[in-house]
Amino acid sequence: MTPGEVLAEAGRRLPAARCAAETGVAGAPGARTVTIEVPRQDWLAALAFARDVAGCDFFDWLTAVDEQDRGFAIVAHLYGLDSGLHLLARTLVPREDPALPSATGLFRGAGWAERETHEMFGVVFDGHPGLAPLLLPDGFEGHPLRKDFPLAARAAQEWPGAGEPGERRASERSRRRLVPPGVPEGWPPA
Amino acid sequence: MTATGPGRPGGAGHEPMAHGDPGPVTAAPPAPDLDAGALPPRSRGVIGLLEENCTVCMLCARECPDWCIYIESHKQTAPAPDGGRPRVRNVLDRFAIDFSLCMYCGICVEACPYDALFWSGEFGYPETGIGALTHERDRLREWMWTVPPPPAHDAGAPLPREAQAAGPGTGPA
Amino acid sequence: MAAVDLPVPRRGGGTAAAGPAAAAGAIPAGEFSLRIFDAGLACCAVEVSAALRRFAGLLPAGPGTGTPGAGVAGPDGGAGPDGGAGPGGGRGPVNVLVVAGTVTDKLAPLVLAAYQDLPEPRRVLSFGACSNSGGPYWDSYCVTKGADQIVPVDVYVPGCPPRPEALIHGLRLLRGTGMERP
Repeated sequence: MTPGEVLAEAGRRLPAARCAAETGVAGAPGARTVTIEVPRQDWLAALAFARDVAGCDFFDWLTAVDEQDRGFAIVAHLYGLDSGLHLLARTLVPREDPALPSATGLFRGAGWAERETHEMFGVVFDGHPGLAPLLLPDGFEGHPLRKDFPLAARAAQEWPGAGEPGERRASERSRRRLVPPGVPEGWPPA
Repeated sequence: MTATGPGRPGGAGHEPMAHGDPGPVTAAPPAPDLDAGALPPRSRGVIGLLEENCTVCMLCARECPDWCIYIESHKQTAPAPDGGRPRVRNVLDRFAIDFSLCMYCGICVEACPYDALFWSGEFGYPETGIGALTHERDRLREWMWTVPPPPAHDAGAPLPREAQAAGPGTGPA
Repeated sequence: MAAVDLPVPRRGGGTAAAGPAAAAGAIPAGEFSLRIFDAGLACCAVEVSAALRRFAGLLPAGPGTGTPGAGVAGPDGGAGPDGGAGPGGGRGPVNVLVVAGTVTDKLAPLVLAAYQDLPEPRRVLSFGACSNSGGPYWDSYCVTKGADQIVPVDVYVPGCPPRPEALIHGLRLLRGTGMERP
C-alpha cells in the first residue's frame, strides 16, 4: 500500500486517529513513513491495523518519550518488509496512570521492548507475560529515563567549570552561580 | 569499473560474494608502526597546552563533556608604565587534563578562542597508576613538542578572511 | 537498597586476604609469555581484536624462538602457570585479563568472576577510558566508574578507544614495571 492508501484506510477504520504521511524523496530518511497517533484505548487496534491492513508486519522497536505534563508518549516503529513502508504508531498515557495494553499479543518481539520501557519509564503494560527489569542491575530504584530523574553524579561531583577565571575554585560568593549542564536548577535540594 | 581508493584490495565492483567465497584476500599488513610518526594529520592521541596563549577564560573546562579539565588561577595586577591604568590579568596556577576520563572529542581544542590547546598523535602513554593519567601543566607542555605541523591548505580552498581583507598577494604560496 | 554487594578488590587472589594465593601471583624470574584474555565489553574490543590479530608477533615472547606469535599462548597453548616450560622454552604464561569497554553495574559481577576464575599468575590491564574511570559515561546511572572498582588493575591504557598499538605499549609496560606488586 502506498502511504496515501494507508492514510485513507486509517481514516476509515480508526476514526479517532490523527495521521500524517511523509513521502519525501525515495530513499531519503522519512520517506514513506506514516505516523498514526491514537488515543490509548485504540492502541491495539492501531497495531493490528498496521500489521494486517497496512502490511507492516516487522516490529522494529517500542519506546516512550517523557512529555512531562502531557504524560508519556509511547511510540512503536513497524516496517513492511515487502512494501518498504515505515509506520510510527503513537499514543499518550497520563503520568499518574501510565498503563497500556501489551503488544505482545500481536508481536512477540515487543516483549523485551516493553520490559525496557517499563523499567526506564515506569509504564505498565497490561497482559505482558513477565514485566521484569531487563537492563538495570538488581535492586535499582527509580525509572532513570524520566526527566525528573537527574544524573546524580553530575550534581554530586564538583564541576571544574564552575570557577570564574582568576579564582582558585568555585566561590560561594561569585555573582553568578553556574550550574553544570544536565543538572536541573535547584538540585540537589538543600 | 568502480574506482577504488589506494590500498584497497580487489576493487572490481560490488558483486555479492558467493556462499563459501573467502572474500577478497587482503595483502599482508604493512610493518606495524608502534610510534606516532606515520599517523595521518589531525590524529587524536593526546592534547598539548601552549600556556602562553591561555588567558584562563575557562571555556575548555566548561565545555568539556567529561569534566576532565581542572583549572585554577588567580588574578595579578600589573602596574602600567607611565601612569597608565594598572592591568589585571589571570595567571594560571593549575591546568590539568585527566586522560583517564578524556574521550578525545576535541571540544576543548575547538572551543579555545586563543589556540592554546593542540592535538598530537602520540598514543603510547600507559600508566600503572590511574593518578598518573592526570597530566599537569609541565607534562602538557611536553606534549606540545610532539604536535605535528598543521596540514597544508586544500589547493582549491578560498583564502581565509584575514588574507582576503589584506589584499592580493598575501595568500598561501 | 538491595544493591549488588561487591567485595573490595584485593591483590593476590580475588577477595581473599594475603596467603598462598599471593605467592602464586609472583612472576618467576626470566622470560615469560603472556596469555591474553580479552573481556571485550564495548567498542574497545574492536581495537583489542585488531591489536591481537596484527601484532601477535610483537608481544613479549619466550626466549630465542623467532616464531611469530610465540608470545601469545592460546587457551590450549603453553603449559600451566606452575612454572612449566611455555612456548619457546620460556616460563609458563602470565594470564592477562584485558578489560576493554564500559563496565556496567549489571556486568560488574561477571568481570569479577572472570578475574577470579583466572589462574595465577594473573594481571589486569584496563583498556580505554570507560574501564579506566567510567570515561564518557562517568555520570550514567548504571556505569561502574572504572574496572578498578571491581578488580585490581595493573596497567591503565588511556584512549577512547586507544589505538591497537597502544595495547602493545600497555602490555610492554605490564611486562616491565607492571609485573611488580606493591
